[in-house]
Amino acid sequence: MIHSIIVEIFAAVCPWLALALCFQFGAVLCRVKAIGTRRLLLLGLIALGMLAVPIQGIPIARWVASINSNFSIPFTGLLAVTVWEQAFAKKIFSARDWHTTWIFGAVGGLVLYPLALGFGKFDTYEWGWSFSPLFAGIAALTGLLIWKQNRFGILLLLAIVAYHLRLLESMNYWEYLLDPVYCLISILALGYLLARRCCRRRQPNQR
Amino acid sequence: MRQSAIRGTLILLGVALNLVPALRHDGRTAGIVPEFRIPANSSTASQTPFFREEFINPDSALPMSHVASICELPDGRLVATWYSGSREGARDVAIFLSTCAPGQSVWSTPRAIVTRESAARDLNRSIKKVGNAVIFEDSTGLLELLYVSITVGGWSGSALNLTTSADQGLTWTPSRRLTLSPFFNFSELVKNAPVALTDDSWVVPIYEEFLGRFPELLWLRKNAGDFIATKSRIAGGELVFQPALVSLSSNTALVVLRDYTPQKKISVARTADAGRTWISPAALDLPNPNSGLDALRLTDGRLLLAFNDSTLGRENLRLAVSVDEGRTWMRVATLDEEGGSIFSYPFLIQGRDGCVHVVYTWKGKAIKHVEFNTGWLDERQHEAAQ
Repeated sequence: MIHSIIVEIFAAVCPWLALALCFQFGAVLCRVKAIGTRRLLLLGLIALGMLAVPIQGIPIARWVASINSNFSIPFTGLLAVTVWEQAFAKKIFSARDWHTTWIFGAVGGLVLYPLALGFGKFDTYEWGWSFSPLFAGIAALTGLLIWKQNRFGILLLLAIVAYHLRLLESMNYWEYLLDPVYCLISILALGYLLARRCCRRRQPNQR
Repeated sequence: MRQSAIRGTLILLGVALNLVPALRHDGRTAGIVPEFRIPANSSTASQTPFFREEFINPDSALPMSHVASICELPDGRLVATWYSGSREGARDVAIFLSTCAPGQSVWSTPRAIVTRESAARDLNRSIKKVGNAVIFEDSTGLLELLYVSITVGGWSGSALNLTTSADQGLTWTPSRRLTLSPFFNFSELVKNAPVALTDDSWVVPIYEEFLGRFPELLWLRKNAGDFIATKSRIAGGELVFQPALVSLSSNTALVVLRDYTPQKKISVARTADAGRTWISPAALDLPNPNSGLDALRLTDGRLLLAFNDSTLGRENLRLAVSVDEGRTWMRVATLDEEGGSIFSYPFLIQGRDGCVHVVYTWKGKAIKHVEFNTGWLDERQHEAAQ
């Protein structure tokens, strides 16, 4: 019972951060560079209040959970990092950390989703039920990233902690590492970065 | 120096936590693989043929009833579930339950046990509709109900939920949602009966119909009163789905599959390692008009199949028997047949007394129960052979 309440509360963290981030973008549009602790707390409380508003008897947070109750830990972490960076105008993730984040989301998504959705006889989703190459691979990657002082490694460490605490409704390790929204954003971000790099390479030749 | 120590600790923690699952006692990782539990073979002595049929919900005010399942309680009573409403997929659809005393042909007044509202309350989320349900009894005498709920879209947006009754169906625990797909937990459905395993866990044939239609297995293991659910695949997006799982021995089994391809034939896939790996499905010489079917291993070793014997529609429901573990089949009886009508979604069990029970959708508006013994089946098989 207590565990299911914790799971429901945790399912609201990602929508809460996403809403707080939307408010922050609103503040950015109003040319506020760093909103600071007090304003951040206020925005957080407003976001929390909004998520608690019931529609047809179900709080908005649970409407979001109705569609997806398993937002991954890296995605939740990324939202938290973005909210923090926006609020205090301080960098937590370097460009290299963000690149790792997008590469992990895109590559992980390509390994997981096509096969899990039935393209082929083999199902990579099965790796997440119990110890498998997925766990060994993530162990190695977590160690490597932390060794290289890449902060995305901390998010991977938090993912395995959350898996052991069963913070999500799912019991599959994949869900703690990836979700479709994170995967999609990662693919778009990588596409944008690649396009930008291509544009930069072309510019000198044009001169 | 201090930073290096923190980094080292974090690395150790990350690696250790990822490797802990390797040490955890788990059927799959510890090398202890549960096998299929096979019911003891019963006497094949000839019985006086017996056949009976009746409607479970003859006075239903609801115009649509579909997807029935049935199980036998320890006291010999039968419990059936199905869903009824104004139409398939409507918001007023509810899952109903009815019981029947041993040897009787009158079923109790159907009672809604899961509605859209009750599912939404239990699961604390938006539920648009409920659908397919399968009832079974676990080794401790608890009744388990596995059912489909939909939040977004049609059947492809469905998820599976589990609820338990400790008082033979009178009251049910709050439903629990099973997360079985990484893509918004979309598209997991159930239609046919589970098979018990030697460690008191269950394997349930389920299927997916989102981007592809393919069969899967849901492994349900009890742990401290709760179920641990995991999933494995039988075949990829090959357009055969809705598996009926038939265990042949402790390690061998087959699944009989509904066909969504233009060939319109029933397919069969086999396993020799208790469901871990499967040989790709192969078509049988029996038609399938993209309709649900079910199969059962009788205690005398014969296999029984209930199916729509047509490539065009569901206007008949026949029984076929196999004596060679599903390689060849002989049509033995017709349960219902009428041009332009629909008889579909059969569900088979064999009772402790050896009688076979079939429940199915009758003309889309009622659930019919057919009961016969092996004597009746022997007679039909004998007639068909001549």
